[in-house]
Amino acid sequence: MEKKTTLLISIVIAAAVVVATAGVALYLTPDDDDSVKYVVVSPTLMGGWLQGGDGSAYIAWEPFVSSATVGGYGTVLSWSNEIMPNHPCCVVVLSNEFASTTEGSELSLRFLKAHVESTEWILDALADKDSVEYQLLVNMSVAFTLRDADVVENALEHVKFGWEMDTEFRSALDQFTDMYIDAGIVEEETVGDRGYGNVTDFISSYVNGTYLDELGSVTESPAILNPDDPIRLGYLAGDIHQLAQYVAANGSVVGGTMSVFEKYGLNVVAATGAPYANGGSEMDAFVAGHVDIGYLGAPPAILKKLNVDADTTIIAQVNSEGSAIVIATGSQISSLADLSGKIVATPGESSIQHLLLKIALNEQGLKLVKA
Amino acid sequence: MSAQYTVLKRFGRFAKSRRLQLSAAIISVSVFVILWHVFAWLLRCWDWSLQEYVPFPVDVFTVLVDSFVNEVPGMDLSMGVMAFASFKRVVIGFTLALVVAFPLGLLMASFRFVNYLGDPIIEMFRPIPPVAWIPVFLVMLSFFWGPVAIVFLGAFFPILLNVMFGVKRTDQTLIDAAKTLGARRIDIFTKVVIPSTAPYLMTGVKVGLGISWMCIVAAEMLPVLGGGVGNALWVSAMEFSRFDVTFACMIVIGLMSILTTGLAEQVERRLYRWMGME
Repeated sequence: MEKKTTLLISIVIAAAVVVATAGVALYLTPDDDDSVKYVVVSPTLMGGWLQGGDGSAYIAWEPFVSSATVGGYGTVLSWSNEIMPNHPCCVVVLSNEFASTTEGSELSLRFLKAHVESTEWILDALADKDSVEYQLLVNMSVAFTLRDADVVENALEHVKFGWEMDTEFRSALDQFTDMYIDAGIVEEETVGDRGYGNVTDFISSYVNGTYLDELGSVTESPAILNPDDPIRLGYLAGDIHQLAQYVAANGSVVGGTMSVFEKYGLNVVAATGAPYANGGSEMDAFVAGHVDIGYLGAPPAILKKLNVDADTTIIAQVNSEGSAIVIATGSQISSLADLSGKIVATPGESSIQHLLLKIALNEQGLKLVKA
Repeated sequence: MSAQYTVLKRFGRFAKSRRLQLSAAIISVSVFVILWHVFAWLLRCWDWSLQEYVPFPVDVFTVLVDSFVNEVPGMDLSMGVMAFASFKRVVIGFTLALVVAFPLGLLMASFRFVNYLGDPIIEMFRPIPPVAWIPVFLVMLSFFWGPVAIVFLGAFFPILLNVMFGVKRTDQTLIDAAKTLGARRIDIFTKVVIPSTAPYLMTGVKVGLGISWMCIVAAEMLPVLGGGVGNALWVSAMEFSRFDVTFACMIVIGLMSILTTGLAEQVERRLYRWMGME
């Protein structure tokens, strides 16, 4: 009996020692002076989190920047175009299986035409803020994002809509992919396993500009070409970047009863599960065969292509820029260097915002580490 | 005789007494791993797109070892640190739930009026999944207490309900017998009702522990300091699509749950022995 008690006590003491040392080791990890700590917070909750006072800043995309500045509790420390001009954001992704038939490839081309025309309409509307079109755009943005008009108007100013995919776009995707490999999110061997010589090789084969080059050949169609077999469109819930598809589906834009999609003979429906909560689940829906064409961020498109071999191609840009580092209004922080030792929220390790923050901090000689 | 030797000898005796149980466990786990391997292999034979979502067991094991030795891919913390962080959250959240739910359950089951007071609130919040509280806890509670509160909610209700059930199931003849022997109400409560609740409490504890671990992913969807296995699981699946890491995290959570449930069973056995119920 006595032996048993001694044993029990020694086990308890041993456990306590293990717990205590591990705890002490965890808490006494030296605070690097040259590091910024990050936590992951969903962008919808970042505003409340910043006001709660647990952290000093967050990086997010519009409208989560304008909701803070218009709401009066946040101030922009740095816009993302100051970190990387024209940085990619959302893209149009095409299912290779859908495009493999002549009909599918024709429909994809027509879809892209509608995307470009709607984006042009958005750009025209934004150019003249007194126009009827601008008011219509704001109304549509409010309806799509479910946010106040002043937040939406502010956000629209900082999003750069466009479809072209230039060398700057490709090299940015190169850089993002390299950063994923550095972080261990993508294993270096995966690039070779998927049949690419290197990262540049991967991006140049993943980004396919031929559809954009052929847009000149697309003409309006008097009838719907795919009445029984609609294009299943994937997009994200209330993402202001992805307005083009909302504009294209909206009859009032071209002034008649027809939407831009209908003008080009397209029957387009929301894919099963759309709108998606994030790009990752949209890519999973691509893999599951639910989506033909989708709007989503470039990072999940890259990650799913490499990590789960999603059979897709990037065929156009949707927007660039439009993210920012936001600090609490009245905070002592006035430069990126001031973030040293502070806690910053990002939307996730694989997000463009996370990568941009990392790039910006590296330029200041600071590291971004997990809090 | 050194303590280590005693431990070894005890383990030897344990292994001998549980020979059947151990061999059954080894058989079922091996069969499971083999079936898993065959399934993953078949997916690749048929070239299903699903194949990338089901890694081979050996790949999962490699990543598991590597994430302990180095760090969890993409997370710049080792699995050991993350496992400890999650363990701490579960232990604290669960302990708080036990400390609150046990007396509350006794009270509610013993006094009808307290039951009437508490019942509507408890029945209303019981079916709400802890994950629903994330936005509220994010702002109201900080890095540490937010995740702990999620675990607390998960463990609280099974313990409470089991304790209440236990009190109500107290054998009436025991109470009557105590009464005829002149016991006061407080004596009946402490010497009859509470001891006879013990088995139900322990059931609640074991169920609550399991649910605590089930809640760790939801808990670590909140921003946490020092990482966590639940966080690594969620991020590797939803963001990185590194399903080898996801499965490795599942194994770690499962093993930690086995560890805590095993501890609870030891406590239960000792408790029953102490109470003379064996």
